[in-house]
Amino acid sequence: MVIKAENIVKKYKELNALDHFNMEVKEGEILGLLGPNGCGKTTAINCILSLLKFDEGDIQIFGQKMTPTSYNIKKQIGLVPQEVAVFENLTVEENIDYFCGLYIEDKNIRREYVKEVIDFVGLTEYKKFYPKKLSGGLKRRLNIACGISHKPKLIFLDEPTVAVDAQSRNFILEGIKRLNKEGSTIIYTTHYLEEAEMLCDRIIIMDRGKSLVTGTVEELKSITSTREKIIAGFENPEEDISDKIKSIPHVLDVGKAHGEYIINFENGTNNLSNLLDFIKDNDLTYTKLYSQLPSLNDVFLELTGKELRE
Amino acid sequence: MTVYRYFIKITTRYKWIILGYAAIFFLLSVISSINTKTKETAFMEESLNIGIVDDSKGSLSDGLIDYLGKNNTIVEMENDIDYIKDQIFLEVVDAVIIIPQDFQSRVENKEESVEIFRDDRKMESLQIENQVNKFLVFSNATRRDGKFDLARVKDVLKEKVNVDVLKTGPTSKNSGTDAWFGIYFNFIGYIVITIYILVIGLIMAEFNDKNIRDRMRISSKKFLKSNAEIYLGQITLGMLITTIFILGGIILKGKHIGEVDLSRYLINAYVFSFAILCFTFLINNLTTSRFAISGVSTVVSLGTAFVSGVFVPQELLGEKVLAMAKFFPMYYYVRINNMKAVSAMDMSYGLRMQLLFGAIFLLTGLGFSRAKQKI
Ligand SMILES: Nc1ncnc2c1ncn2[C@@H]1O[C@H](COP(=O)(O)OP(=O)(O)OP(=O)(O)O)[C@@H](O)[C@H]1O
Ligand SMILES: [Mg+2]
Repeated sequence: MVIKAENIVKKYKELNALDHFNMEVKEGEILGLLGPNGCGKTTAINCILSLLKFDEGDIQIFGQKMTPTSYNIKKQIGLVPQEVAVFENLTVEENIDYFCGLYIEDKNIRREYVKEVIDFVGLTEYKKFYPKKLSGGLKRRLNIACGISHKPKLIFLDEPTVAVDAQSRNFILEGIKRLNKEGSTIIYTTHYLEEAEMLCDRIIIMDRGKSLVTGTVEELKSITSTREKIIAGFENPEEDISDKIKSIPHVLDVGKAHGEYIINFENGTNNLSNLLDFIKDNDLTYTKLYSQLPSLNDVFLELTGKELRE
Repeated sequence: MTVYRYFIKITTRYKWIILGYAAIFFLLSVISSINTKTKETAFMEESLNIGIVDDSKGSLSDGLIDYLGKNNTIVEMENDIDYIKDQIFLEVVDAVIIIPQDFQSRVENKEESVEIFRDDRKMESLQIENQVNKFLVFSNATRRDGKFDLARVKDVLKEKVNVDVLKTGPTSKNSGTDAWFGIYFNFIGYIVITIYILVIGLIMAEFNDKNIRDRMRISSKKFLKSNAEIYLGQITLGMLITTIFILGGIILKGKHIGEVDLSRYLINAYVFSFAILCFTFLINNLTTSRFAISGVSTVVSLGTAFVSGVFVPQELLGEKVLAMAKFFPMYYYVRINNMKAVSAMDMSYGLRMQLLFGAIFLLTGLGFSRAKQKI
């Protein structure tokens, strides 16, 4: 286990920013920390890294207790903070060299590492630029480069794709996969479902400072009682037929949105043909009919009673 | 030494602020030194307006007034310090001499016998002290059986004055250069506060950004070590700035450098710089707002320079103002620069006060930085 955080409690006056938060990270994986804005993702990272004092709990990294003076552990960690944190008065190259220099004293090694990471994040053309001349997406890449130039084994990325255009976002996500392939363990926080689904080996779903569930995407989806979701729209009749639909076998509940019915089934087989029978029996004409597997959003909805998406 | 190296590198991005101040400063100094030069040669002939408060009313004081009246215009005044200061400040008179009741006995005992208020803004007012001293020295020389031979004093001084005009005596020239250095170094004090707070403040606003601090705190470089390098950078920068301005003064008055006690000015300037570095440390622990920093830089430098006697001589400032000025090292710095005869004790008191303030600023700053880290 690379990281083991147990029952972390972090209080801000009345607010429990972390409420018995638990997290385990295995070597070589990409772990996603998924939760809505303000649920405590950044707080969790800062506590794990001893940037914040916390009230209760225990944190071990590489099998050792993490403290503000655990320099041996810190040497192997890279952090890409949520906010871009660079010197406005240093160029791209100088910024990276500065932060790399906080880990690596040897100038020659550093020169090589800095060059490598500039290539890695695709900023070679911009290495003499000052940060204020960079676009938002390029600034984020610089922010990443500053956190990973010293080749850490364990990398924390705190929402590195927020407010980034699609092109830079894909570039960043691909880069993270590459880092992982090269052997780094990665903790990735996000409030984007798609990113978590596509990138992460395992996901921790968080809400209000609590870690709710952990598992692979498949495991998480299997938690929900919903097995299948069918969306149907009808030409007729005008009146609500939700109650009638509920008589179909295995229907859990029926919702209505934009004139369409969202039908959740608890069992995964024969649902569509049962629904088709129901349509025929009731002389209905459908305009839309398709089946969906449950998403992480459904998992989140079922766990917290609210949508993850804003 | 990455942190130190990049601290210095960031410093170079602010070189225009430093060079800008330096350019204006040297320009003004050159202008002012040209001014004093023309006055120096002319000033023996210059007639001054001298206010006199004669509480003694003896023959000796009459002799002195008579002597001074030869070359100057004498105005009788009441012994009212505030009024006197106002008159000098308003340039009604160039200097005021207060002759105390026990004037004669003081002269006989070779004690400080008169109190002189003069307008430091005017070089020529320096001659008053010379004239008074000259009169007293000769008076004492003619003293026989407890009596002064004032008639002889008068005769001797008549010749003496002529001789002085011819060779523009070395004493007067010396005090002219000394006064120039005093004023120049006083202004260094003002500029040191301005630039230190502004430039170091702007640089530290970057280093003290919470996110950058966090990056440094999670790195494997000991936080204390990073901080030590930052402070080393500040000291390097501070000493460099102070040295530039000191060298400027030495270059401007290079020829006369032998006439002044340079070491006094140097020690004073570096001790003062250290105290202001500590003050900057305090400010940097209070705010990282660039707006606040440039405000503090202007207000503190102008404010303390004014109340401590950089722009207006300390003698002309009210007691309340000076009492307030004592709460900032500038006051002690200016006092040492303006001392005429330096006693080692006076000087060490002034230096110790500046160091004490430095220590207080440092400790207060540390207190605030601790408080911030608690969160
Ligand atoms: N310094 C602080 N003082 C008081 N409350 C704070 C402080 N920092 C964070 N919080 C609160 O703690 C909670 C968790 O904040 P945190 O930044 O960890 O959320 P997050 O999951 O990272 O959100 P986001 O996705 O917006 O980055 C929030 O409710 C926030 O308002
Ligand atoms: Mg966050």
